[in-house]
Amino acid sequence: MGIIGVSQGLSDAQNKALSPLNSVGTDIIVTRTVAPTLSTATTTTTTPSNRFGGGGGGGGFFAGQGGSSLNSSDSAALASANSSVITDLAKLGPAGTKYIHDFFVAGTLITFPSQAVSTVSKVKGVTSAVGALSLDALHETGTVPKITASIKTGGQTISTTVKAPVLTAAQQAAERTCIQSVITKQLGTTPTTIPSSGSGGSSGGGRFRFAPGSTAAFTKCLTPAQKAYQQNVTVPEQTINKVLNAPTTNTKTSTYTVAGVNPANTTSGLVTKAQLVKGNWLSSTPSVAKSQVLVTTAYASQKGLQVGETLTINKVGYKIVGLVNPTLTGDVSDVYFSLSNLQSLSTNTNRINEVLVSVANAKDVKAVAKAIKAALPGATVLTSASLADQVTGSLSNARKLANDLGAALALVVLLAAFLIAGLLTLSSVSKRVREIGSLRAIGWSRRRVVRQIMAETLGIGVVGGIIGIAVGAVICLTIGAVGPALSVTSTGLAVGASKVSGLLGQTTSATVARTVHLTAPIHPLTIVIAFAGALLGGLIAGTVGGWRAARLSPASALRDLG
Amino acid sequence: MTQVQIDENRESAPGAPLYELKGVTRTFTKGGVTVNALRGIDLEIARGETVSLEGPSGSGKTTLLQLLGALDSPTSGVIRFAGRSLEAETDRVLTDIRSKEIGFVFQQFNLIPTLSAEENVSIAMVPQEPSHEKRLARASELLGQVGLAHRLGHLPSRLSGGEQQRVAIARALANSPEVIIADEPTGNLDSTNAGEFLALLDDLQQQFGVTIIIATHDDNVASHTQRRIRIRDGAIAADYLS
Repeated sequence: MGIIGVSQGLSDAQNKALSPLNSVGTDIIVTRTVAPTLSTATTTTTTPSNRFGGGGGGGGFFAGQGGSSLNSSDSAALASANSSVITDLAKLGPAGTKYIHDFFVAGTLITFPSQAVSTVSKVKGVTSAVGALSLDALHETGTVPKITASIKTGGQTISTTVKAPVLTAAQQAAERTCIQSVITKQLGTTPTTIPSSGSGGSSGGGRFRFAPGSTAAFTKCLTPAQKAYQQNVTVPEQTINKVLNAPTTNTKTSTYTVAGVNPANTTSGLVTKAQLVKGNWLSSTPSVAKSQVLVTTAYASQKGLQVGETLTINKVGYKIVGLVNPTLTGDVSDVYFSLSNLQSLSTNTNRINEVLVSVANAKDVKAVAKAIKAALPGATVLTSASLADQVTGSLSNARKLANDLGAALALVVLLAAFLIAGLLTLSSVSKRVREIGSLRAIGWSRRRVVRQIMAETLGIGVVGGIIGIAVGAVICLTIGAVGPALSVTSTGLAVGASKVSGLLGQTTSATVARTVHLTAPIHPLTIVIAFAGALLGGLIAGTVGGWRAARLSPASALRDLG
Repeated sequence: MTQVQIDENRESAPGAPLYELKGVTRTFTKGGVTVNALRGIDLEIARGETVSLEGPSGSGKTTLLQLLGALDSPTSGVIRFAGRSLEAETDRVLTDIRSKEIGFVFQQFNLIPTLSAEENVSIAMVPQEPSHEKRLARASELLGQVGLAHRLGHLPSRLSGGEQQRVAIARALANSPEVIIADEPTGNLDSTNAGEFLALLDDLQQQFGVTIIIATHDDNVASHTQRRIRIRDGAIAADYLS
């Protein structure tokens, strides 16, 4: 009975731990993903209306192209959304500077305007629609390496002496003509000889003097080669950052997942207040919530975080106000911000990437999902049923295996107990050959002997059954009182941005741990089975043993005693 | 000596032998070896006789005793008991005969260890007397007659060998049998208890004419019987009065 109780307890623990979408309170999840994993069943080919388009993500969400082909605009948007992860070491400070930086990227879930929430809310049958933003976070730490050298160049004045070039006859003639023209212009008459260069303009001692500025006029007569043969050059100043060697960095990268929830909505969202296991919920005052976060128990345990401590992200401290323990199969992230805060941190202002929808009537889920697809072209709409089918595929197998194992174990134990009881009874009866022989000798018929032994073993079965049930009950109650803790951990199932992203291949995974206390419940059926087993075992063994003994002739029975 | 009350209202044929055996053989096969335990026994035993069957171990006296007690059937030959042939009877008939007309006393007493002295006597009456109270009353009476009135509720383990044998005698007398068959009844008794046992048998026979057949190799026991039969190699070697 104890075995059966423990088996039942394990089954109950599995139900608690593995129940799909347990406590999520969500019937439909609306997302937008890049096309490849979308099927025609969940994606509607869109019109190019770009109803919710634009924004930081770029590629017109709910307006992209569905179908099996890759959506180029969405892919571009996704690439843009994830481009912030590129680290420019040159901008992190001088060499030796320790840096810590967190990047938020959308993964495969494309963000879209928050306006989608109101659109979904207007769909008939929807009782609530909550926007959420779940992102992958890359946490980088390291030291800025010596990667650049600042070199200042230029600013020098350079003088060079060069030999004047030899003019061609044509150049000489042209130059002469030009000079004569200038002189004529200066003197008012045409000179017969051209004064030597450099002496022009001198008029001392009765000599002719050129007017001021005539030098420039003569200069114009020079050929370009004569003009350049001597020149002062001032090099412009410039600073060049040159990569000297490939930088060696000690950057360490770790990943975690973040999500944004609406603090004012405590009953639906990626995490709910019901899943708060320690501390408080995010403040409903945005200015206060801005500096608060919730952390999953698994992440807190992994990082050694406590309620009241500060989690620093990009040099900003966030107070951990509470620990949450989302369901294993629910949406799971490591850190939960207020939605507006995460939108701001990740430059996704007024953008979300999930809408969690509750439907009034479970039977309407399919119709509502269809209506949402129509209202938000290009959206991926997953219902809890389809999600459970996909998410719990492996889980149901695991549960079936565990259940089968428990049932097999209980069966084996029962069978073993039955056989042992039977063998003990047979052994006991075989030791009573003298007694049975004596009874036969004094006139007891075979039937009477068998009946007597059956009655005895039945009585033993009743007593044994009562004692067994009492012992089993004590064992079960002890197990229930001690309640050994079973730790259930899920990694990669309830993934990063969400289970949806996990289904669609998002790579970052969150670890969720759940502790379930093992109990050994005593069901009336268990008691009945245990008692019936004890009686049946005694009855069958008694009948077989009694009949075997009674078949011996009394003479043989007495003779065999020697 | 305690007086034992015997029911005398049974049908009987005065003068006719209680047992008639003609050419009785009994063969056992064990491990591929055939053993002729009895080789053509011819024997008559009258009502009220006290008879001893003597012989060494393996002579066949216990086998003969079992045939006389309807515990076994002969391989061949005829056994008549109170005018009825036993050799062809079913187990059910033989069981009924044992219950009503034959009382047994064994060397090992063969009392049921988990039952009191009173209950050990009482169970012999179960096939004949459905009333539990009446059985207990009769058992109590019989135990009183063998001198164990003060030991009614004792388990066999708390009784001496002699007391256990007395309980066995009381059980053998429970259904007022025609004959009491005792196999080495004094084998586990000291001389004092053996003497008391023999005296009790003498008393039974003298007062109520119960036929008593005792298998023994104790000459002292055999000498207390009226008739001594020596068995050797499965055959009667001697048959004479004491």
